[in-house]
Amino acid sequence: MTLLLQALINGLVSGALLAVPAIGFTAMFAVLRFPNFSVSGVATLGAFSGYVAYGAGLQVAGSLAVAFAIAGAVGLFLDRVAHMPLVPQGALPAAIASIASGLVLENVVRLFFGNDLRGYDRPIARDMRIGDIRFSPQQLETMGIALAIMLAVFAALAFTRIGKAMRASADNPELAALKGIRPQRVAMMASFVGMGLVGIGGMLLGLDSSIDPLTGTRILLSIFAAAVLGGLGSAPGAVLGAFLIGIAEEMSVLAVGSAYRAAVGFFAILIVLSLRPRGLLGERAF
Amino acid sequence: MNRLAIGRRAALLSGVAAVAAPSVLRAQTDSIKIATLTPLTGAGGPYGPAMAKVAAAVVEEVNAAGGVLGRKVQLVSEDDQTNPDAGVRAARKLIDVDKVSAIMGTWASAVTTAVAPLCWESKTFLCTVSGADSITQLPHQGYLIRTQPNTVLQVTRCGEFLTSLGAKKTYTLVPQTPFAQRSIEILGEVTKKAGGTHGSQIYDDKKTTYRTEVDQAMRFGPDAIFCAGYTPDTIVLLKDLYRAGYKGKIIGQAYAINQKLIDQIGQPEVVEGVYTYAPSIAEGSGALERVKRMSGLANPDPYTSQVYDHVNLVLMAMAVAKDASGTAIKDNVRKVAQGSGKTVDNAVDGLKAIAAGEKVDYTGASGPCDFDDKGDILDCKFRYEQVKAGKATLVKVA
Amino acid sequence: MLNYLLFIATIGSIYALLALSLNLIWGGAGMVNLGLAGFFAVGAYASALVTTTGQAPILAGWALALVAGGAAGLVVVLATTRLREDYLAIVTLGFAEVVRLVASNEIWLTHGTDGISGIPGPWRAALGREYFNAAYLPILLVVLLAVFLLMRRIDRSPYGRALRAIREDAQVAQVAGKPVLRFKVQAFALSAAIAGLAGALYGHFTSYIAPDLFLPLITVYIFLAVASGGVGSPVGALVGAYLLMTLLESARFFVELIPAVTAVQRAALKELLIAVALILVLRLMPRGLLPERIPRAPLNQTGGKS
Repeated sequence: MTLLLQALINGLVSGALLAVPAIGFTAMFAVLRFPNFSVSGVATLGAFSGYVAYGAGLQVAGSLAVAFAIAGAVGLFLDRVAHMPLVPQGALPAAIASIASGLVLENVVRLFFGNDLRGYDRPIARDMRIGDIRFSPQQLETMGIALAIMLAVFAALAFTRIGKAMRASADNPELAALKGIRPQRVAMMASFVGMGLVGIGGMLLGLDSSIDPLTGTRILLSIFAAAVLGGLGSAPGAVLGAFLIGIAEEMSVLAVGSAYRAAVGFFAILIVLSLRPRGLLGERAF
Repeated sequence: MNRLAIGRRAALLSGVAAVAAPSVLRAQTDSIKIATLTPLTGAGGPYGPAMAKVAAAVVEEVNAAGGVLGRKVQLVSEDDQTNPDAGVRAARKLIDVDKVSAIMGTWASAVTTAVAPLCWESKTFLCTVSGADSITQLPHQGYLIRTQPNTVLQVTRCGEFLTSLGAKKTYTLVPQTPFAQRSIEILGEVTKKAGGTHGSQIYDDKKTTYRTEVDQAMRFGPDAIFCAGYTPDTIVLLKDLYRAGYKGKIIGQAYAINQKLIDQIGQPEVVEGVYTYAPSIAEGSGALERVKRMSGLANPDPYTSQVYDHVNLVLMAMAVAKDASGTAIKDNVRKVAQGSGKTVDNAVDGLKAIAAGEKVDYTGASGPCDFDDKGDILDCKFRYEQVKAGKATLVKVA
Repeated sequence: MLNYLLFIATIGSIYALLALSLNLIWGGAGMVNLGLAGFFAVGAYASALVTTTGQAPILAGWALALVAGGAAGLVVVLATTRLREDYLAIVTLGFAEVVRLVASNEIWLTHGTDGISGIPGPWRAALGREYFNAAYLPILLVVLLAVFLLMRRIDRSPYGRALRAIREDAQVAQVAGKPVLRFKVQAFALSAAIAGLAGALYGHFTSYIAPDLFLPLITVYIFLAVASGGVGSPVGALVGAYLLMTLLESARFFVELIPAVTAVQRAALKELLIAVALILVLRLMPRGLLPERIPRAPLNQTGGKS
């Protein structure tokens, strides 16, 4: 029983880390209407940007800001130059171009940093224990940062003008345009903020383990799975999906062993989508 | 219609030009061509670059000393992308376009197994660092040697070492690789023979956290854990073992728990006391020092050392044969690798001795480099080290 | 050099088969099959296992690959009928990953990550490697031609028009009386069967298959090939596949010309060059090099254009 509970908690921690980039991914889908697979490269870029900033002396908060800014800027650039012009052809050509952009970013990082694994110089502490359950203080801290960011995003979406504009635009682009919300501006905002979140996600991941050019690629499928599970376009759905994927993956280690971990997410999605074809929380924008 | 016709034609023309041009540039038909095929991208990416770099350094030194048989040596380095399909295409190009006599450094077992038939069928010599036992069982007719000890040898020694330290409950944590199953079986046998028990778990090497896997391992209550993965996943595993408060012994391969891992983890307590092991180099051999200098690493991992040995062996075999073909290497590599002769640990000295008519016996940076007729290294001593205060220190050689 | 070009042409032809397979359901029915690598793997393993452990003749292996691929395709499409297009993508991707994981872990069945080596090739021993490589290409081209003609036939037939109608708007097609589900299932199964055959042809050519061969990267490459060649056009799929192969290999030679970079930087530049080239093709020719031409439906009215 404790093993299950422990797996649950482990899953919540990994799910929280997954949630931040998943929100970015799904928000971009809601506004830009194509799945942007370059999040793999952007997450890696964010992780490395944060690494350089942290090594230069900025604290965690400052490095997160740098990761956000660089990832957001690069993501915006790629969207405008490579992806958005293809959306009139359909979501799929744009998605395919985004896969290629992800490869571009991965190799740019590799060009400058090589393949060596690098890590933030963060203290690794023994876990704390409450009864038979153990928590890592460091992972709790990372989780706390992730939760804070999520709350900030939801607050911005709910209360700020641009946030409301994004939701309106995602919900009904024509009506929003009629009301004076400029779709171009909303799209740029969505790209920048969405990719910024992905970059932060990459850095949070790196804080905990290590970073290399393949960091983002390893979590790409999980991000996509989490967003799909919750309902593409729904930010709360992405959070729910991320936690569920995290928990399912950890629990499955107990059941089928770790070697089949990657399959678990997909089976979960197949089951959920067969029962609720629009994802767990439907596809309401945000 | 015009635009697309131009586009298509341009694409085809540029493709043909690209293929034809470099062969015009590479008109030095008199040089000896050898190649490295290492993972420069993909899952093996952390290892490939250093392997290619050390090979280039050896070739540079040899060329500066006059080359082999009076000819310059030219090294071509390709990327196998840790993927058998990309590896096979790259090998095909090396064999048919660059016309190399030897391909060195293939790392992933699937890549080596895919590339091996191309090599033996085209009489190109293949030197590999892959560990899967099935590789030397292939019908390679002698065109393959491997400097990595096979699974049986490695894991048996690992088990003997652990039981010599008094371990009674050993546990293997290994990702799904060709040697995973065998490693588990062998460590289990060795432990049982010493009166202990053994548990195991196969994990996914792409995860960013192993908390649940570590929980399961700790439930077995092991006093010694064998981490049989590679550097990226071992970094996470060691951190999670530390966080979980595991206080028993840990042992891993030296290619996984290398200096890069120690530096990356940073905090000394996490790796304090961890054991590593690898085949031992001979007493007094300066080979490892040379590898350190050439690779720029204070503690090069065994793969880098192995490729250093590959290049030396290939070039010296050519010198003995007075012939730079793959068949010549195949027929003469054991003449320079083992048997009686002056002990040498680098190609420059070896080539000088061979030119003077002497016999040589190469002992390398990865071990004594003596091969059986299947291409496996013969039984050799292993070097066991323990990480203390962020540095690997010698425990014993046995 | 000739050997190398023949080899690349052979691998390119196998990619071309995969491109035709993808073009059928993507350009045809508008279904997103990100699980191409999975059907490729199913066919490869089916044929490899039955011709090595099963000692069956090679043609039987290829036939089995077709059947196994088709059966797998049936299973996947039937399990996903309720799913919307965007979601079909991830489930098919999941299928491919599951196939790869099963191949890696179920060692008793597939030899695990060791792979299956020694897969027989037609007349391999008799011809010796050089002639075998040269002889395999014509065999492959014959198969490719057969599949291509079939695809073109479908493309121009009422069945093909119905599939394209489904691609454009499935609801309208349904209202127009087309058995949408049945057509989609048939198209998907056929497409998966072709991908399976491609897998078998690959395995018997290289004589070795392993789970690491069937990474999502292959699927990505084929998508890029079909997109750059022109979705919906079988000729476009072929052009795209050979163009992709040319790009993948010529990038190697281009980056050799760059001085003063380390091996790993050269590798990164090669991958960068390939990805940028593909983005450029997609951006500059969004409908592909050979955009699909929708053939006019025949009009029987007097005074109408024909």
